[in-house]
Amino acid sequence: MATIIIDGQNYELPEGAKFNAIQAARHFGIEIPYYCWHPALSVVANCRMCEIEVGTQDATGEIKMLPRLTPGCQTPVRDGTVLVTDSSKVLEHRKNIMELLLINHPLDCPVCDQAGECGLQDYSYSHGRAEHRFVEERNVKPKKDVSDLIVLNTDRCIMCTRCVRFTREITGTAELQIMRRGDHGEIAIFPDQPLDNPLAGNVVDLCPVGALLDKDFLHNQRVWFLSKHDTVCTGCSTGCNISSEENAGKVWRHKPRHNPYVNDYWICDEGRYGYKAANAPDLLAGNFILDAGDHHGVATDRFFKRLNEDLTHRILDKQAVLAIFSPFLSVEEAYAAATWVKHLTNRSTLAMGPVPVVGQDQTFAPDKMTGRSGDTSFLMPRPFTISAEKVPNKAGVSLVLNQLQGSEPLNFDDALKQAESTPIVIVFGGSPNSDWITVDQAALLRKAERVILFDSTINALADTADYVAAIASFAEKAGSYVNRDHRLQHFEAALPTREGVWTLLDILAILSGNGRAPIQSRSILAEAAAKIPALSKAKDGAVPEFGVNLTGKDAPIPDAGFKDDWTLANLAQI
Amino acid sequence: MAAFEPVLSRNWNNPDILSVMTYESMGGYAASRKALTTMSPDNVVDLVKASELRGRGGAGFPTGLKWSFLPKDRKETFMCINGDESEPATFNNRYLVEKDPHQFIEGILIGCFATKANTAYVYLRFEYIKAIHILEKAIAEARAAGHLGKNIYGSGFDLEIWCHRGAGAYICGEETGLIESLEGKRGWPRIKPPFPAIEGAFRKPTVVNNIETLACVPHIVERGADWFKSMGTPKSYGPKLYTISGHVNKQVCVELPMGVTTNQLLEDHAGGVWKGRKAKAAVPGGISMGILKKEEFDIPLDFEEIRKTGCLGLGTAAVTIMDDQTRIIDYLYNTTRFFAHESCGQCTPCREGTGWLYKTVKRIRSGGGRIEDLDLMSHLANNMGITPGTTICGLADGAAWPIKNALAKYRDELEDFIKHNQNPAYKITAGQDAISKGQSPLPTNTSMFVPGIGLAKSLSN
Ligand SMILES: Cc1cc2nc3c(=O)[nH]c(=O)nc-3n(C[C@H](O)[C@H](O)[C@H](O)COP(=O)(O)O)c2cc1C
Ligand code: SF4
Ligand code: SF4
Ligand code: SF4
Ligand code: FES
Repeated sequence: MATIIIDGQNYELPEGAKFNAIQAARHFGIEIPYYCWHPALSVVANCRMCEIEVGTQDATGEIKMLPRLTPGCQTPVRDGTVLVTDSSKVLEHRKNIMELLLINHPLDCPVCDQAGECGLQDYSYSHGRAEHRFVEERNVKPKKDVSDLIVLNTDRCIMCTRCVRFTREITGTAELQIMRRGDHGEIAIFPDQPLDNPLAGNVVDLCPVGALLDKDFLHNQRVWFLSKHDTVCTGCSTGCNISSEENAGKVWRHKPRHNPYVNDYWICDEGRYGYKAANAPDLLAGNFILDAGDHHGVATDRFFKRLNEDLTHRILDKQAVLAIFSPFLSVEEAYAAATWVKHLTNRSTLAMGPVPVVGQDQTFAPDKMTGRSGDTSFLMPRPFTISAEKVPNKAGVSLVLNQLQGSEPLNFDDALKQAESTPIVIVFGGSPNSDWITVDQAALLRKAERVILFDSTINALADTADYVAAIASFAEKAGSYVNRDHRLQHFEAALPTREGVWTLLDILAILSGNGRAPIQSRSILAEAAAKIPALSKAKDGAVPEFGVNLTGKDAPIPDAGFKDDWTLANLAQI
Repeated sequence: MAAFEPVLSRNWNNPDILSVMTYESMGGYAASRKALTTMSPDNVVDLVKASELRGRGGAGFPTGLKWSFLPKDRKETFMCINGDESEPATFNNRYLVEKDPHQFIEGILIGCFATKANTAYVYLRFEYIKAIHILEKAIAEARAAGHLGKNIYGSGFDLEIWCHRGAGAYICGEETGLIESLEGKRGWPRIKPPFPAIEGAFRKPTVVNNIETLACVPHIVERGADWFKSMGTPKSYGPKLYTISGHVNKQVCVELPMGVTTNQLLEDHAGGVWKGRKAKAAVPGGISMGILKKEEFDIPLDFEEIRKTGCLGLGTAAVTIMDDQTRIIDYLYNTTRFFAHESCGQCTPCREGTGWLYKTVKRIRSGGGRIEDLDLMSHLANNMGITPGTTICGLADGAAWPIKNALAKYRDELEDFIKHNQNPAYKITAGQDAISKGQSPLPTNTSMFVPGIGLAKSLSN
């Protein structure tokens, strides 16, 4: 067992832990402030914010301290390491650094998008000094566009080089560089070579201050009005963990959340801007019944009553049902929906909705060497893949259907062919994209006598179905998805459901006459986990923070899944 | 003590020495032949260790010890020769390359043999165009004559030397800044560990040595460690090239036993202070080292004694004399401007501190100084550098030392200057002054009209 001493107290390091002083202190609830260090990037120790006093205790118990301050980011901890984070020398040093970082800073917080989640504001408050001894003229530096989506306020930059290292070490694209020296240094792109790699937006999250900002979000919201919801991106089958940030009924941005097994610290730009679909003005609202060639809006209770009567009548006639399940459904939705269909009739066929594939998987696979510098033995490079399969839950939906049907679900193309010979087609949608189905495909399904659609967008099938029920959009529902690596992950709703719109889980509870809305996704997952062996690891509907690997065992995380303070402004953790 | 016999500069008056044949005819490349054919690399390392040769690049690190830090099981080693020579007023490396390139090449050869480096990079200051031409020609000749290339002297040892020109940055003289620059990157020093001996150029074990350090090595091989240690002062042995510049009659580079005094340099070699004036102060070894008062001119300029004056060290042994009409504020203006310009900009205390110090000194010099500015400068200087542990490299220490020394040795003059040189055009406002001291910009118990709010409540300290 390795023992370290922090501020005079002994702590046992967890088995196999690979920590630097910042990580070790955080693990035991002690804060060492930092800027330039990032768990996924090389250590450069240039901001000097994390300096502490470091020493070692030998076998006799004697402690020898180094005479000078040492950066915590650059200090690996091992048995006998002694850290002092609260001495007057350390506290005074932090004050000095905060003062220095601000002497050439514009301090334009009132108009700065970073305000409220800014490393300079937060540390000035907690570690700075109120007096400001600088009376000279400040350097003035330009604001410049580094891409169509990202603006760089060089005057607010603290030269931590996180952004530069990201492009060199993670994406390997190296668009960013440093120009000039001393306090005239600036982050820059090469002329006419914008920062436009598929992960570019991450530099905005990495930047601890208001230097790199997202033009899409710029001056849209003060961040303290945003509520953060831990959710999972639906852009592809990678299932990146994100924070969906909402105010006044709208999602304003997506930010990555750390998950060492999935997305590490990153998200791709497509997922980042995928939030826009949540605010689409033309989402399906209300329930409609096709009558004499025209759709009529029907109040919810009447709508379900008529639907139930229609179905019961047909089912008693022994008509067969073809049910199509979108891979945008949550595991819970798929389970509840398929269960309902199976209860309706034993003459049912379960099919998978369309699974769009765009291009090929794109993997960024950082290693310990490429683009890196210094001692990289502590780095734990993790690959990041943008999946070609542009749906979040094909794996989850198909394992549910597989179980309830006892065989593989039909694929969408076969389902289209079968519609003609099936009297009743029920489609459980959920894609944020209204073009998930083409007019021709909708026409094929329309060959059935009765077409029933549950969906959130107005699309080609909604235009022709007999029953069209609006359901909560991807942003309005909670549940779980299973990603391409068989990891089941829980996601929260970011928005309340639209006026007059119910979640599919609630609707199914009404239709099947069991349970009373609102239905908690967790109880459905618990039920599914009890019935479906492939989901047995989600016992009682409990899903751990980083999700659960349904088919295998997770590798240990020696860095304990350190959350970077600046990506999500996580400061409040300690 | 026997009369001192210069070795490093012995051929400087012979222009033919640039040719390999002349150099050989004067006994050149005998030491390298001796090392490569009769000694093992470890023998050479031990010999250099025994000589107690200390690096001439500035830090005075024992050379043999540095070589012994290389990992025993290494497969490939690089030698980087530091010829960036950007410390103001320093030109001994330039003389060594321009006036006797083969002595230098012979030093590289022995140094590489000792460290098992088959590739050597000579990193030369951008402005040394003449030196690089001479060196490249000499390398070609040495190669043709069998002193470089494959299987040198039949010893089985191979060596290639490459010249690399810097791009004009002081920081590329710092050994890890040099390595980064050599690798084609921006010259930003690296954090240590890992030290270059473990992971240097191209992530391979690397030795960085100064030109003069390596130029000493052939003489040690030829004459022995005892000969080397017969010169100098305790812990600072051997011959040393001193450059003298500034307010002197003759600006020279002379070879003398380690540990001469500033007075000796000034009077015996530089022809005294110019214009019949008296000396006031001197920069001992490049401006990073601080400042020596006239009263300290009898202190030996070696690695140890000089530190007792409060100076940072011997540095490059480039002594700059200031006459009695020099104002310390002008000295500070020049040094702070230099470091603000040369800070690479990665460490917060150095990037912001050097700029802050420069702006402050500039204001004081223009007539806007306050006595408190001196305390502020002292606080900044005391908190930047590898000495307090707040930066990656020693540039920040070099930037701090002139301030620290000037404040310790010339505080009266600086205070006097501030008192008698006040120019309203450069003064800061009373409000700025108050805020910088953490006080209210308004006198106690006054009120202030804030538009839209009306009369704000009384402000007090
Ligand atoms: C800011 C800075 C600049 C330096 N510039 C030089 C230089 O121009 N030439 C040099 O030989 N050493 C320079 N050094 C010292 C080198 O880092 C290194 O110690 C030296 O090259 C080692 O060689 P030596 O052991 O032979 O002295 C500099 C150090 C610092 C911190
Ligand atoms: S970066 Fe931070 S400190 Fe600077 S203006 Fe923006 S919010 Fe204020
Ligand atoms: S732009 Fe932001 S991330 Fe990049 S160096 Fe500046 S402060 Fe750091
Ligand atoms: S101390 Fe100064 S010059 Fe050296 S690495 Fe830091 S910022 Fe650069
Ligand atoms: S120096 Fe350690 S976090 Fe910047």
